Amino acid sequence: MSEVLVEVSGLSKAYGRVTALDGVGFSIRSGELLGLIGPNGAGKTTLFECLAAVQPANGGRVILKAPQADARRRSSLMFYLPDAIAPWPGQPVQWALEFSLDFLGGRRNAYREVVDDLKLAPFLRTPLGDLSKGQRKRVLVSLGLLSPQPVLLIDEPFEGLDLRQTRDAAAALRKHVAAGRTIFVSIHQISEAARLCDRLVLLSEGRVVSEGTPDELTALAARRLGQAPPSDFEEVFLALTE
Amino acid sequence: MRSPSRAWRWLLRKECCELVLSRSWWVMLGLTGPLVGLSFIDAVRAYGEASGLGGTAAGLADAMWPLDGILAPTLSAYEVVALFLLPFVAIRMVAGDRQSGAARLEMQHSISPLARVSVKAAVLLGGWSVASAAGLLACILWKSHGGSIYLPEVGSIALGHLLNAGFIVALAAAAASISEHPSTAAILTLAFTVGTWVLSLMAAVHGDIWERLAAYTPGEMLQAFQHALIPLSRVLAGLALVGGGLSIAAVWMRTGVAVRRRASESIAIVAAGSALVFACSFVRTGWDVSENRRNSFSEPEEEILRRIRTPLAIEAHLAPEDPRRFELERQTLSKLKRIMPKVEVRYVSATSIGLFEQASPHYGEIRYDLGGRRAMNRITTSEGVLETIYELAGVAPPKEEEAGRHGHPLAVRPAHAGLLFYGIWPVAVAALRLFLKWRLV
Repeated sequence: MSEVLVEVSGLSKAYGRVTALDGVGFSIRSGELLGLIGPNGAGKTTLFECLAAVQPANGGRVILKAPQADARRRSSLMFYLPDAIAPWPGQPVQWALEFSLDFLGGRRNAYREVVDDLKLAPFLRTPLGDLSKGQRKRVLVSLGLLSPQPVLLIDEPFEGLDLRQTRDAAAALRKHVAAGRTIFVSIHQISEAARLCDRLVLLSEGRVVSEGTPDELTALAARRLGQAPPSDFEEVFLALTE
Repeated sequence: MRSPSRAWRWLLRKECCELVLSRSWWVMLGLTGPLVGLSFIDAVRAYGEASGLGGTAAGLADAMWPLDGILAPTLSAYEVVALFLLPFVAIRMVAGDRQSGAARLEMQHSISPLARVSVKAAVLLGGWSVASAAGLLACILWKSHGGSIYLPEVGSIALGHLLNAGFIVALAAAAASISEHPSTAAILTLAFTVGTWVLSLMAAVHGDIWERLAAYTPGEMLQAFQHALIPLSRVLAGLALVGGGLSIAAVWMRTGVAVRRRASESIAIVAAGSALVFACSFVRTGWDVSENRRNSFSEPEEEILRRIRTPLAIEAHLAPEDPRRFELERQTLSKLKRIMPKVEVRYVSATSIGLFEQASPHYGEIRYDLGGRRAMNRITTSEGVLETIYELAGVAPPKEEEAGRHGHPLAVRPAHAGLLFYGIWPVAVAALRLFLKWRLV
């Protein structure tokens, strides 16, 4: 089993009287593609934001176990790519990619590969504000892939992408994981998540209901249902989040 | 591998690009020319008439100084720009990052929020300096008409406006960081500005503590610089206010920090800033950079006054709105405080206008106490006050000086100014915008 880079335990967050996260605990391991799945309002984005220290958590601990990490600064280990952002609308794509390369000191040697994998070349000189939702999402994913941190958190990497683009982006993520990068994604497309991720964290109503490989979760669902393992991972998800 | 200098370069380039791509800055730049032009044309016309254009009474022209007649009124257009245009440019720069989500990406770098907001402020002040070109053009045009320009006076006014702009940028940055939406930030900034006007009004009516507080509002601070006086206290207080505003902006720009902690840190910054500004009020050093030394006594008088080391207490029984008090403060006491090391001034009045105190036997009295030796009179002129102090100190007054310096009257009309500021400036700004947009995107 690969080493644990981040250990999360008892993480809680409330917005006034509404509990978004309730004692969440799981781990992120080196070199894995970890998926966070859960129904709408399960707390996926809140979990990512608390994990990346974008929002303050009300309780719990996030322990950075990687030797290169600065315990006081989570961004020394993790780069977080939020969903539904449209940064630097007046700037061209090429300029935005320099954010990861120049500002963050990112993976310059991966630049050409990322541009090719995510098919960014045709609009490198186009301002971000003029891109379609899918194009912008690909640019943002490329920012994440070029960032220097060992762990990459991406909230909804395939949101707004069509089938072909989703496959291209998924392939790009897998390629980086194969090269040793750790990626943690939140995905609402359950079947896509099961196909793509090494392990999954199932979140429901602010709690982690299960954590494991797709096979482990399928077996767990079969035990819960008391019948043969479901063939569709969406059935697994429903069984475990009931 | 992270290269700090590369990150800083990227950040600086990014902020410059954001400024150049923002419509609000171009609107500010485009409007600055006509505003400066309007002030300049009015000022030159009035100055020309007072200098003899169209037959003015002889004698008046000798008292004409470009500082009062041309420079201060022309450059006062920047006060309007700073109050009503600059805040929107600053709010757009700070709030834009948060609204677009760029801030959430950028904040993941180890560069501190204070450094980031300081880079934004520096770029905004750079943008302000570009807008200052209109004022520079006005000065050049005035010179080309044969007018006199005394550069230290221009420098003093420019410094005052730069400090004012710095404060407005810091205030707008703080408001944009605290509030969720740019419109709320704009309301907060304008509310603060209106608040300073109310404070100035309170100071004029009630005096005392209000007067001391109002002395550090941007508008009041600017006045000294417009008279070619650079008081160190106001420069330091201005810098403290800018630092405080940017620090509050940085506190609220941080991600992952609870609102309660940010609020308590902001309160601590306000308290520290207030203490600093209060401490600055004890600094009496200042530089009179006016051509005619209007903010200073004559050099022989200053030499004698500097030698009086005994503490001097002055108690003036004059109401805040009494013109005699204004004259006493402006013409004498403000100069005295910069020269004599130990001067304490106290105003006593029961009302704000003093109209109904005139019957009081003590109203109008000015009491002096120089190391236990006392005097009392009602003279508010510089000569009278200084004479009293010399008598108390037991020193001989200096010999009478020759007649003072003469002004620089100039009876001209503002030729070409309309074409330059209302025509060429807006066209040049629009052309520059198109060119830069083409180069950058």
